[in-house]
Amino acid sequence: MKIRILWMYHDLMDLYGDKGNIQVLKTRCVKRGIECEVDTCTIGEDRDPDDYDLFFMGGGADREQNLIYEDLLKRRDAIQNAMDHNTAFLLICGGYQLFGQYYKDQDGQKIDGVGFFDYFTIAADRDHRCIGNIAVEAEMDGMKFKAVGFENHGGQTQNVASPFAKVLSGHGNMYKSGYEGFMNSQVLATYMHGPLLPKNPVIADILIRRALKKRNGVVVLQELDDTLENKARDVMLERLKIHG
Amino acid sequence: MSLTLRLVKTMHSVLAKAGRGGSLPGSLALVLDKKFISRFHMPRIVVIVTGTNGKTTTSNLIAESLRACGLKVVNNHRGDNLNVGIATLLAVNSDSHYNVQADAAVIEVDELTVYRQFENLHPTALVVTNFFRDQLDRAGEMETIIRKIMEVTENFTGHLILNGDDPNVIRIGEQAKQAQVHYFSVSRTENSSASTDEASEGKFCPVCGRPLKYEYYQYSHIGRFACPYDHFGEITPFLNVDSVDYRNGTFTAGSHTFHSFLNTIYAVYNCASVLCTMKALGLDETKADTVFSSYELKEGRNETFELSKPCVINLVKNPTGTNEVLKFILSREGEKNVCIFLNDNDQDGHDVSWIWDAHFERLNDPSVRHIICSGLRAYDMALRLKYEGLEDRITVIENSTKAVQWLDEQNLESYIIATYTALHPTRAILRKEAKS
Repeated sequence: MKIRILWMYHDLMDLYGDKGNIQVLKTRCVKRGIECEVDTCTIGEDRDPDDYDLFFMGGGADREQNLIYEDLLKRRDAIQNAMDHNTAFLLICGGYQLFGQYYKDQDGQKIDGVGFFDYFTIAADRDHRCIGNIAVEAEMDGMKFKAVGFENHGGQTQNVASPFAKVLSGHGNMYKSGYEGFMNSQVLATYMHGPLLPKNPVIADILIRRALKKRNGVVVLQELDDTLENKARDVMLERLKIHG
Repeated sequence: MSLTLRLVKTMHSVLAKAGRGGSLPGSLALVLDKKFISRFHMPRIVVIVTGTNGKTTTSNLIAESLRACGLKVVNNHRGDNLNVGIATLLAVNSDSHYNVQADAAVIEVDELTVYRQFENLHPTALVVTNFFRDQLDRAGEMETIIRKIMEVTENFTGHLILNGDDPNVIRIGEQAKQAQVHYFSVSRTENSSASTDEASEGKFCPVCGRPLKYEYYQYSHIGRFACPYDHFGEITPFLNVDSVDYRNGTFTAGSHTFHSFLNTIYAVYNCASVLCTMKALGLDETKADTVFSSYELKEGRNETFELSKPCVINLVKNPTGTNEVLKFILSREGEKNVCIFLNDNDQDGHDVSWIWDAHFERLNDPSVRHIICSGLRAYDMALRLKYEGLEDRITVIENSTKAVQWLDEQNLESYIIATYTALHPTRAILRKEAKS
């Protein structure tokens, strides 16, 4: 078996160690004898997202976001096509925002998102920046779990039809909001950095299963030893005084 | 004499008699008088040093070099670079009429607050070492920091001493039309490379947004570059290091050979900024050589403790600094143990994701026998290494005393990497263990 990952704008949207997510996906595949190929794609580069099983896009500063959004808009139909063919998506922060309707920055300048979903994002003033450790409770593909990460975003994302998780500690989509991210059966979009996957191996494995599904149907993954992963997550849950 | 100044001075001498330093007097001063710092009559030479990495070392080297020229110099040599530290420094070194008693002040200022201090301190020169991605939760985006500094330097008429090999720093020089801009630069060395996996900033021209073209990289995004479209980056160095001899730990600038206090490229950049500053101020820069060759790095900068075998500790704050420390560790011969203390207190930055931007995979080297992960986020560090295939070599020992004792028992050279708030507690443990 094999997974092909498309890593969008690896050289621009690479804030807060988001690249760690790729490393986790890769390692967890290889340990199970699943081949994992990662291709990067930057501005102007010709790649067909439908050739891939998982589409990954991380976060960037406003400046980087301004550099890429036009390029992303040009790829709208190609991404739609990949979505129609069951490609899995992991979108973090800026990647999350740009899949919605629009992003309006602090100066009121609006950049268009690819508009696959109804949500939109408006940058908050400095006092309402969502920043700090975050813990959430989520249910994905029938599995219920707690996840931890670090959020750091000024953007306030509103009108989210189906959030990824309920916030146990932290902010989520908006300052002091109760919900985090966006999710459907193919797409996981979130503000959670940390990076997200090392401390939340459950999510990593769900993404691997979703990616494999495109060409292999439902696959049962071999269990891995996640002692360190769980310990790292539990240390944070404990600090945030979340039990069980 | 003003009451505030008198109180602050008294408080400082009482604390000093009790064997305590610190910025408490400065904190008091700023509570009593918000404009305290602006009240001082500054010496004729005021050098402000700022940037992401190398501020403390650079400002200490400049201070010592000015002393070598016979000047009386005050400086915040321990790196107390926030307003309270600066207020303390000035109060302690002034007479009762706010006259700072020195020929020169060399002041390290935090890059996030330098825009607030700049006018108060009446600088004759501003030295900018570099801008790297730092603790983002504390610093915000680097773009904001640079813009704020550009705001205060726009009409500055003094000397700007700038790293000409850092695209983010050059922006300050390009925009300051009134200042006397002096760039320092280092020519290609045997360790320079044509490509890099380290640069996270400085990939694009700040003027037109198109990719910058690099002739070579020294480390991170530091190197020689230019924009092929608008020629951004084509600078004329005021002070150029023409060659670096890593075998002998020397470098040449102009017709002189200097000794580097540490045999690394970033140390050469520190030295270059010092020479550039002296030259700009009209001082004899060759006087700096005795300072360079005898300079001892400050606490936690390559500091050695005699455990059963030598143990070298280094402070790390961000990916670039970490990458350089890792290179240094691996350049040392022989088998070794490594111990990493990762904390996430205020001064470390609450967000530890930066460890994924640093090249810890370099520890996947046969000379590294074992890696201990310690500190508040020990497990995050362990995971970082696990996903580099180092699973069999890592052990988590959360308790820092036990971690140091473990290193001591192994009878092998060891290298400790510690974040800011882990540094001093770890040094205290090392001092104790080194004696026993």
